[in-house]
Amino acid sequence: MKIKEMLENIKKEFPYIGTEIQEEKQARIYVCNDKFLNILTYLRNEKFEHLANIFAIDWIDEKEFEINYNLWSYEYLVSIIVKVRIPRDKAKIPTALNIWDHAQIYEREVHEFFGIEFIGNPDLSPLFLHNWKDLPPMRKDFDTEAFSRKAFDVGEREGEK
Amino acid sequence: MLDKIQKDREKRQSAWEAVINYFRKRSLYMLHYCTGCGAIELPPIMTSRWDMERFGIAPMATPRQADILLVTGYASQKTIKRLIYTYEQMPNPKWVLGFGSCTINGGIYWDSYNVINKLDRYIPIDLFISGCMPRPQSILSAMKKLQEMIGKGEAKGYERYKQNYEWYKKNQRKLLERETPFLDGGEK
Amino acid sequence: MIDRFTELKKIAQKDGHVLYNIFFGPNHPGMNGNFGYVLDMVGSQVVDVRLNAGQLHRGFEKLMEKRLWVQNFSLIPRVCVVDPDPNEVAYATTAEKLADIDIPKRAKYIRTITLEMSRMTSLLMGMGSVGGATGLYTIMYWMLSDRDYLLDMFEWLTGGRVYHIFNLIGGVRRDFPEGWIDKILELMDYFENKLKEYDHLLYNNPIIVKRLEGLAPITGDEAKKWGVTGPNLRATGVRSDIRIDYPYAAYNEVEVNIPIQEDAKGDALARAIQVRLEFEESINIIRKAIKQLPEGPVRVKIGNPLKLRIPKGEAYTKIESSKGEFGYYIVSDGGIKPYRVSVRGPSLPVGLFLCKRDLPKIRIEDVALWMNTYSICAPDFDR
Repeated sequence: MKIKEMLENIKKEFPYIGTEIQEEKQARIYVCNDKFLNILTYLRNEKFEHLANIFAIDWIDEKEFEINYNLWSYEYLVSIIVKVRIPRDKAKIPTALNIWDHAQIYEREVHEFFGIEFIGNPDLSPLFLHNWKDLPPMRKDFDTEAFSRKAFDVGEREGEK
Repeated sequence: MLDKIQKDREKRQSAWEAVINYFRKRSLYMLHYCTGCGAIELPPIMTSRWDMERFGIAPMATPRQADILLVTGYASQKTIKRLIYTYEQMPNPKWVLGFGSCTINGGIYWDSYNVINKLDRYIPIDLFISGCMPRPQSILSAMKKLQEMIGKGEAKGYERYKQNYEWYKKNQRKLLERETPFLDGGEK
Repeated sequence: MIDRFTELKKIAQKDGHVLYNIFFGPNHPGMNGNFGYVLDMVGSQVVDVRLNAGQLHRGFEKLMEKRLWVQNFSLIPRVCVVDPDPNEVAYATTAEKLADIDIPKRAKYIRTITLEMSRMTSLLMGMGSVGGATGLYTIMYWMLSDRDYLLDMFEWLTGGRVYHIFNLIGGVRRDFPEGWIDKILELMDYFENKLKEYDHLLYNNPIIVKRLEGLAPITGDEAKKWGVTGPNLRATGVRSDIRIDYPYAAYNEVEVNIPIQEDAKGDALARAIQVRLEFEESINIIRKAIKQLPEGPVRVKIGNPLKLRIPKGEAYTKIESSKGEFGYYIVSDGGIKPYRVSVRGPSLPVGLFLCKRDLPKIRIEDVALWMNTYSICAPDFDR
């Protein structure tokens, strides 16, 4: 099955999505917030069974986060990236835990680095960072250089004997 | 009279110290703790090709029996906490080798939010090896240099740590036990 | 099976002194890399596992947004220390997709050859670590000294032993030096002869077979469901390889025969044998690629690399590394720096999530073996 037909089939099922073909074996699906779980379930049943990862993009100018679900089909050998946009302020999104088990760890990672709440995910405790008090570091408005200067610059060896 | 006794004692002590140092430098146990990417160059050094055991250096699994702490590369905030624990568990005399540019000034991670920049502000370092990553030859030459320094009694990082304990602790606490965000806009 | 352990755990919880914790890593000789599990133990049986990750977190994805397109090549190999080349190729290929650059054929072949060499170094490390975790140090010593031959070839070609920084947007940095190709063919013959000795030493060794057989088995469907990729997936009998399914570099021209074991059980032994088969296949691929190597330039001109701008867009590239699928998703806003780079590391679903299923079934002495046969590489999920 060609990727074009495949996208048309999906579009028949869900007329409200936007699609874009990147190359022969890669496409993107844009979807609004409350319907994306249906599409993920549909794709999962349509042999897109490998969830490569979940990652977020911070579109700070548009005041939106974009959550990406990176899927791969072992049968059609096609990669589809499902993109969901949510407002940046107090970002919240339902979890995909019921569809893929290991979505749990990716959501935990995204939560730690972007501060996005995944409703229904039981364990979103910090994993990578130590005693983090600042903004989630992967957000665009977090300045890593200023942080580094402030936190790790301990001055000259004045106090030392 | 008292001065003379004191001087005699010092003389004897320094002679004893020289003998001890001579033996110390020929039997060094290096703690097997891979802190960063430099750890990938350690197996070739330990095994047949470069074989550091011919210089009298062997890997050791526990900090309690180790002499050298080799900080192989960048130290993140979580690592620095474990490094301090490990360093304080090691018995005196102990030496620290900073391995790679990132222990000197942060290297290519100079602006990273999770990698500390100057390692010698948190634990005392006796010798730095520059490069990213250093070649096995330079590691071996650093080991030789450290042995020389131990033999002459120059590598006294552990005494520096004792003397400046408060200063080092202050730096460590600033990083690890912070209660407020460093930048504006932090939450909680 | 699981019921028995939940029962054990309950007994242990009632009887305070029976349950204890072991910090398996970061400072543990059986742990590869600066990473750790906190294991809840009853006797020498693991009953629960907690994660102790993040010691290697450097914030790569953030740093890449702060660097120029070309500067990022010095950061990227550090994502996976053992097998650095797939990162460079994935990043370069994605950027070329976005900028619509068609790289010369010879560059594609050179990338293929370096990728396979990097793969072989990593597989040798994997075979050696299985020996190290069982206490058979001869295996480790052999593999590490053989790995150094490959590192020397890398040094001759690229100037770096571990990190090569050899790929650029638009091709590779330089052509093969004189005499290099003869030497690598010679080395491949050496490795092919060595394979028999590896078999005697490692795979026919009764200790290894007994320790690995039946350890932490996984079926093909489960592996797909849990995000396991690469050699670990093929060890369950699933015929899937990105080099064939979604070709990059010159893999659409060089023939790849995926090695699959018949009646693969998906246990640790199958995974260890898979590593050996993959190693053999890598030797064949390098030979084929050198046979087909075309003439021509190795790089297209991209102008001043410090002012390089990549057009607006986003794309994903996945690469078959020695541990599984390495993927780079890059978003460009048309500037001199990437807007967002997302890395998909192969070890993340295994090392941070599959461990919760597998480790509570095995004993403490097998934890290191479990990690090594899955070839878990901590830097690629800490990043």
